[in-house]
Amino acid sequence: MKQIIAIIRDERVEETKTALEKTGVRGVTFLYVTGRGQQKGTVSAGELGSGLDRNIRMGIGGSGAVHESACPGEEKPGTFFPPEKEFAFGFLPKRMLVIIAYDEDVESVIRAIVSANQTGRHGDGRIFICPMISAIRVRTGEQGDMALS
Amino acid sequence: MKMIWAVIRPESAQRVIRALDSAGIGGMTRLHVTGHGREMGITLGSVHYTEIPKEMLMIVVPDNEVAKAVMIIRTEAKTGAKNAPEEGIIGDGKIFVTYVEDSFPIRTAARAGGTPKA
Repeated sequence: MKQIIAIIRDERVEETKTALEKTGVRGVTFLYVTGRGQQKGTVSAGELGSGLDRNIRMGIGGSGAVHESACPGEEKPGTFFPPEKEFAFGFLPKRMLVIIAYDEDVESVIRAIVSANQTGRHGDGRIFICPMISAIRVRTGEQGDMALS
Repeated sequence: MKMIWAVIRPESAQRVIRALDSAGIGGMTRLHVTGHGREMGITLGSVHYTEIPKEMLMIVVPDNEVAKAVMIIRTEAKTGAKNAPEEGIIGDGKIFVTYVEDSFPIRTAARAGGTPKA
């Protein structure tokens, strides 16, 4: 039994759900998180104007900006940003998926998550695979592999 | 490779993040959580609170950086004098460390054991 923790883009959640459904994995937990990778939450101006931009301005993400840099919201209205200009927001809104799967299903779950989330740009997220000792279904008290079936 | 789950005070989160950052640990995930410890929450006047807001940080680091990361979180999240355990105030948080078997970016899906075909 393995625990698969994936951090994915907020806007890819629906695609991921569809992809996971095809693998036969039924149980998924979604968490709203903020996070960043080694790029410190850097977003290019070309990506702004999407839902991400709105979320940051609403304060859903970016609350932990640790890098002082120009924030588009603070510029004069009408300022033009070249698409390649980058802004460091610190923490960006992300979604965390937690899936407990049988050992033999891990590869297909990973493939599903990767195919639904891979854009090739920074910020696609990360997948962690951790050992999980047991699971217990609360309703029936079934333990171990039985609790997942 | 190890996964570190740190439950810390929200007010110390920024300090911990800055310290981790300057130590070269840049990637992390942040969760807003509530909870209580052995003390079963706090009582203020006649009101008893069991769900105390906390900040949870999830960091995955190579084995040789675990001690460094844990020490940074301990130092920065602790209240009171740094080297005096008796001076801390209850509620500074806890740090949990678990195993990670594999970790890879979705962008490249480059895994230690070979890249699976997407």
